[in-house]
Amino acid sequence: MHEPGAGRMARREVEGGADAAGLVVYASQEPSAFAGMLGGLIEANVRANPAKKKDFDALAARVGIWVTDIDEGVTLVFDAGRLTVYNGLEPRRTITIRAEADTVMSLSNLKIGPLGLPVYYDEVGRGVALKLMRGKLRIDGMLANVQVLNRVTRIFSVQ
Amino acid sequence: MAVKFASDDWAKQFKDEVNKSNVYKSAAKGWKWTVGLVVEAEPDKNFPESRGVVMDLFDGEARDIKIGSAADAQRCDFVITAPYSRWKQVATKELDATKGMLQGKLKLKGDLPTIVRYTKASQEMTECTSRVPVEWPDER
Repeated sequence: MHEPGAGRMARREVEGGADAAGLVVYASQEPSAFAGMLGGLIEANVRANPAKKKDFDALAARVGIWVTDIDEGVTLVFDAGRLTVYNGLEPRRTITIRAEADTVMSLSNLKIGPLGLPVYYDEVGRGVALKLMRGKLRIDGMLANVQVLNRVTRIFSVQ
Repeated sequence: MAVKFASDDWAKQFKDEVNKSNVYKSAAKGWKWTVGLVVEAEPDKNFPESRGVVMDLFDGEARDIKIGSAADAQRCDFVITAPYSRWKQVATKELDATKGMLQGKLKLKGDLPTIVRYTKASQEMTECTSRVPVEWPDER
């Protein structure tokens, strides 16, 4: 596991245009490949889609993601229009998602339905729901934070 | 018959495998970007010069797959870069490509939401590489 506090002092902003300032920052001077990928994915999604930007601006939560088959994770600290990505799991997380790499990618491929809820009845959705039921996808804090989870899923989704 | 890795014959067989795959055809529906694989040199593994695999992929079909220079591959819309031995691990299923990318063992350049949307297609493409019988330069 990464040492969570190691890079807190050295925040590095993602490179971007003049309007890029302040959207995604990395707590470590050396973000892990996974941290860079998730931060890049969220930034691209938010910039391309006004509905995702609205969710991003409204979300304040600490989301941990741990990829069980590579023993790596990140903490995404959403702070109403700003995201800080930490290598490893930080304390005081609102929700923590634990799954294998394939499942984490599937979460990004969940479709979003007309009410803004993730779709669990198509092939990808059924796969995710099945993994949740079988314990291959664990989401700590899910029941108390369903709205946060739905909002994070909408921001993640590339569909 | 086994073909030399990253040779013209290998590229042809790889293209044939991709075009034979119904899974790829369906998963890559709508894909319209070029993909370059940069295979970095590892002289101690008998792979002395970097090479590029340039793939013209369109709507579930491999229109062309050819071998070029690393610079040719780097001009593609999506570029995946790794040393020779990592690509060998991917093609022999020792390393899962998705995990490799999350771990930074395979370096990806390109629009992330697009590549994530086509995860299944890229996984099937990896399967296709593993179906090509290969003569590895470090095993000669």
